[in-house]
Amino acid sequence: MFKGCKSALMASAIGVSFLMTLPSAMAKEAIFALPAPEVGVPAYNPITGVNTNSANGLIYDKLIERAVDQTYHGHLAESWEEAPDGMSWTFHLRKGVKFHNGDAFNAQTIKDWIPLYKGTESEYMVASIASVEVVDDYTVKFVMKTPDPNLLYNFSSSFLSVVDPKVFKELGADYGVTEAVGTGPYKLESFTVGQETVLTRNDDYTWGTDLSANRGPAKIDKLTFREIPEDSTAFLELKTGGVDMLLSVSTDYLPEIKAQADLGLISRPGTDLSYFVMNVTKEPFTDIRVREAAAKAINQAEILSSIYGGVGSTADTFLISSLPESKVKPEYKIAYDPEKAGKLLDEAGWVKGADGIRVKDGKPLAIALWTQSDSAFRRLTEVVQAELKAVGFDATITTFDSSMIRDEYKKDVHQAAVRSYEWDNADIIDWFFGGDRLGYPNISMFNDPKAEALRAKAMTGSKNSEERTANFLAYHEYVLSQFPFSPIYQPLDLSAYNKTKLVLPDEKAVPYFSSLILDLDTKE
Amino acid sequence: MFTYVLKRLLTLVPVFLAVSFVIFMILHLIPGNPVDNLLRVGSSPDMRAEIEAKYGLDRPLLVQYVIWLFHVLQGDLGTAIVARRPVATIIGGALPYSLQLGGAALLFSSTLGILLGIVAAWFRDRWPDQAIMGGVLLGSTLPSFWMGLLFILFFAVWLGWFPVSGVRGWQSLVLPVLTIGFGGTALVTRVTRVAMVDAGGRDFVLLLHAKGLSPLRIALGHVLRVALLPVVTILSLRIGWILGGAVTVEVVFARPGLGTTLIKALSQHDYPVVQACLLMLSVAVMLGTLIGDVLQALLDPRMRHGHR
Repeated sequence: MFKGCKSALMASAIGVSFLMTLPSAMAKEAIFALPAPEVGVPAYNPITGVNTNSANGLIYDKLIERAVDQTYHGHLAESWEEAPDGMSWTFHLRKGVKFHNGDAFNAQTIKDWIPLYKGTESEYMVASIASVEVVDDYTVKFVMKTPDPNLLYNFSSSFLSVVDPKVFKELGADYGVTEAVGTGPYKLESFTVGQETVLTRNDDYTWGTDLSANRGPAKIDKLTFREIPEDSTAFLELKTGGVDMLLSVSTDYLPEIKAQADLGLISRPGTDLSYFVMNVTKEPFTDIRVREAAAKAINQAEILSSIYGGVGSTADTFLISSLPESKVKPEYKIAYDPEKAGKLLDEAGWVKGADGIRVKDGKPLAIALWTQSDSAFRRLTEVVQAELKAVGFDATITTFDSSMIRDEYKKDVHQAAVRSYEWDNADIIDWFFGGDRLGYPNISMFNDPKAEALRAKAMTGSKNSEERTANFLAYHEYVLSQFPFSPIYQPLDLSAYNKTKLVLPDEKAVPYFSSLILDLDTKE
Repeated sequence: MFTYVLKRLLTLVPVFLAVSFVIFMILHLIPGNPVDNLLRVGSSPDMRAEIEAKYGLDRPLLVQYVIWLFHVLQGDLGTAIVARRPVATIIGGALPYSLQLGGAALLFSSTLGILLGIVAAWFRDRWPDQAIMGGVLLGSTLPSFWMGLLFILFFAVWLGWFPVSGVRGWQSLVLPVLTIGFGGTALVTRVTRVAMVDAGGRDFVLLLHAKGLSPLRIALGHVLRVALLPVVTILSLRIGWILGGAVTVEVVFARPGLGTTLIKALSQHDYPVVQACLLMLSVAVMLGTLIGDVLQALLDPRMRHGHR
């Protein structure tokens, strides 16, 4: 009798302990390696922070999300209207949204949130808003100081991720380190700067965008974001199962990824563009014919295939091709044309010598070509050097450390450089060619009255987004016509993952990371 | 002994002030500016001046230095311009990892290095000596970056014995310690061997042999004590190095630490963080030298007497 009782007790104890361990045993987990440039972000603080990383987009939601094709999708704001004169915007907010701590998200949240940007480096993003009016619990009106057709873009920026204003004020400098409260599909569980971030699923989340099939909650219970600064180490972690996905992977690893059956690749259009830029105030680039010749000497297709293995695309304007402002008239596009380049240099009086280098008035067509010390830049610059030589330029490469090169540009002694940028808005033309930003970021020293007039119209003279696009197109076309640069290459945004661990959604569209996460699952 | 230590400490004060001045000035005079990392596309050109004024970067350099030193002497390292956190918190977060890695590497390299140095000296000019010195040559010439990747490939990818990177558990410490320790061991082995051979040829060793002591007892009990003096000097000088000298190893093994903090801050020209890191490393070197001197004084009474 006693023996039977003991057995029954033991069996039930085992059963209870099994049931207790069941949820944790079944918990789905995934480990990601953050891209190298995102390593070392000091806090999950989109308001005062200078950098954000991919996990930021999972802790926080934004009013609007921007897809990789640059279309806007409602998120915490379901819809919005802009006044015809551009002097106000009305946003209709999503109902039933809660912050991670249970606080309700409503129009008052937005009214309390916008002023938090005062005095920060991100203030310019909301600077055109004069006041925020609460129309009703879920309708908010932005009264504008000036029309701002870029407002939707700004609201889709990670720096305008919606934080809980109450917690932000309470925590002060500790906000984003010890605690970060958003409305996103994951909650911050732990964060060690430079090491890792652990997120746990927000089980209440049901307000995903139409960019994912699953609107929430997410399928994976726990996500770990590891910070691995060295590419090769990150790749070895993927190979050995230490991480399940590399959020960014260099094209150098593509052959190995393709050769390994258990590794998969996700590719999305990137927001980077590399280019060759000329100082228009320095000989020989004061002559527009020489600039055009140099611009047309760059063989973009050859660079794409020889350096990047055909992954990505060639660039023919200053903007990434998904932006509407990149759709310039065909005559403004810059493409490889060595014959035209040769003819232009002949016209400009530069005659080809016996060694292939052109000469004018006894002076060779010699230029200093600046670049950064990173190996990727060096490789690209060496090819550009060879292509310039093919049409008669004698380019000598000078290498600078990436942290010092900006100050060197400010000295205005440079002639030409190979550079790249990462940005997804047409205002990058203003940044790199604006007459009041000479030296750095305006490396080309381009300061043309007509361009300045077009720039002012594009930056501040547009009432709505259609007008802004048209104005930026005109500005872009004019800058292209003056040949201060030559576009080269647009890379793809590549991620690699472990197929034996992760199940990806069907590639019906190419979603951005925080939408992909909602559909992402692990294998049982 | 107390007076000796106090005197040595007092000599460090002007060195500290000179070092702090050099660090501050060099950092502010080299090209680059933290403001470039704060400005974003779309922000107005006037914002640069606003940010410079906000962080006091528009003041004369000497004024900036005096203000910074005044705060440092009160224990306030300031707030990072780019990272936006108190510098003390940033360094406090990185220091334990550096101490853990550096301490373990120093222990590993000194233990193994002294042991190998003794063996090499014992078998002087015979094959064990030549084999050890061959290994030493390899250890001192191979770059740690390459060694680290090689260790990862062999021990983590092929054998699967240790994790590739990270800071989870003692296993993750093994490969970084081996990588740093390999170079360190080479140095300690070489110094120990030379010192052992040198001390072994002195007159007192002849006397000990004449007294009939066994060669092993003479080597370990007497020669080693004398030979350890230069080894202690080398090891104490490496205290500063182990804190900040493991940058490449920290990067390869994705370990947080002072080295990576310094490099990140340097690339962003985050002055307060770089200044604090360099100052800390300088203080570590100064203290390392002091510890070395004190240990030497303890091991060699002649040094203490000389200072009385």
